[in-house]
Amino acid sequence: MSEQSIVVEDVSLSFPKKKSIVQILKRTDTSSFLALDNVSFSVKRGEVVGIIGRNGCGKSTLLRIIAGIFSPDQGKCRSAGKISLLAGLGTGFTGHLTGRENAFLYGSILGHEQAVMKDLMDEIISFSELESFIDEPLRTYSAGMKARLGLAVASALNPEILLIDEVLGVGDPVFKEKSKKKILDMVSEAGTVVIVSHSFGLMTSICDRVIHMNDGKIKFIGDPQEAISSYYASEEGRK
Amino acid sequence: MDIQLTEVGPKTSFFTAPVSSLSILFSHRFLIKNLLKRETKGRYNNSLLGYSWTVLEPALLSAVYYFLFIMLADNPDRLYPVWIIIGVIVWTCFGKCLQATVTSLTRNASTIHLVYFPRIIFSYSTTGSTVWTTMMSSLVLIPLLFIYDIQVSWQLLLVPLAILLAAFNAVGLGLLLAPANCINRDIEHLIRFIVRAGFFVSPVMWTWDMAVERGWAADVVIWNPMVFPITLARDGFLGRVSEFPMDGVMISVGWGVLMWFIGSALFSKYEHSAVKYL
Repeated sequence: MSEQSIVVEDVSLSFPKKKSIVQILKRTDTSSFLALDNVSFSVKRGEVVGIIGRNGCGKSTLLRIIAGIFSPDQGKCRSAGKISLLAGLGTGFTGHLTGRENAFLYGSILGHEQAVMKDLMDEIISFSELESFIDEPLRTYSAGMKARLGLAVASALNPEILLIDEVLGVGDPVFKEKSKKKILDMVSEAGTVVIVSHSFGLMTSICDRVIHMNDGKIKFIGDPQEAISSYYASEEGRK
Repeated sequence: MDIQLTEVGPKTSFFTAPVSSLSILFSHRFLIKNLLKRETKGRYNNSLLGYSWTVLEPALLSAVYYFLFIMLADNPDRLYPVWIIIGVIVWTCFGKCLQATVTSLTRNASTIHLVYFPRIIFSYSTTGSTVWTTMMSSLVLIPLLFIYDIQVSWQLLLVPLAILLAAFNAVGLGLLLAPANCINRDIEHLIRFIVRAGFFVSPVMWTWDMAVERGWAADVVIWNPMVFPITLARDGFLGRVSEFPMDGVMISVGWGVLMWFIGSALFSKYEHSAVKYL
């Protein structure tokens, strides 16, 4: 029997809407936005699970619950092992620091130890193809160079549970291929993967199961093809 | 072998929060080091004078206050300019630490949304970088020792101690208000006002001795927790034995410890719900 890696039980989360002083005083109804509504599912160790759904359906929020960024209002989320969320590559990048300093900063934000970062530095420099640029301030970098550095640091992670939120598609076509390959490598190396993407081709090829989410609820969970059909069916229904 | 499932985002107990925040600082020291580097390097980025600004700013500010005070009242104390410089340095440390911790969550919203680590790290690293620049500012006192021909004594070490106490007095209140500031930004505007007003209520342009001369004033101002750190730094500079009453010491240190406990506990209790507002 395989072990559970992530267990999400009856998780609900709502985001408060901003209130103005007047609204608070008048006690007018300022309902909050329910991002996740009683979501339950579990992921076995070694499984690759995709999440699809239209924008704003709660996909990213669900990943952030698993990563511990938000804590649920109700229900609970449990997990086994070290979790890393791959989202918005280059968090904390700062223009006046050099590429190397930024790599250390970003690496430490992602939870690496100093010794680990030192060991990884050569690999990061070679993967990002920055060479001598690594000791220049980041503000001199092009957008593509920043993206390459970000991916190089992030992909050096070696978590037991990998969460990916739409990070494909940065840089020039050649690097895009390279980054896609790198992420697929990470997916195959990591024990357990949960991936949010709009790329259905990718989802069918790598995922064992796909979750279709709609308005904060799980509409379907299971075979990738059927999940995609469920997605199109509900999109049709909207029209 | 079965790896135990654990709940994501473990919550620390309300009462042990201050202590566990210290272990968080230790376990994330590499991250803190990098965040400190970012803040201290960024502060004087693209400026010709760079770090000299840490010394220039309080020196110039003190010069202005000095002339202002000379104009308003003829002051006989030849050390008065030094008292202002020390007052400005220590008070600015408190003010900047307070503003930095209160806004520590709101300023880092984008990072908070993308990765989880204990958010109290933002508050402490920004305080750390403020303390560091204040220490640099206090180097302005070294030439003043020679200009005013003051005996160098071990008591000079009280100056950095006073700066640390000023920062400590700010951290607790800052931690207490940081989650509230996520929900309502009025807090940070209010704090900015308090820091400006507090400048006059605290012994920046006046000294503890002046308050004592007025008699009743000392009984009132002793309740201001910032009176002790500023007086401590001044006595330390002069190398004299402080005549500051023990009550005042207790009020200042007691405030710091109490606020730090309350602040850390409430920060860890409310950080999770507060970040939803970011």
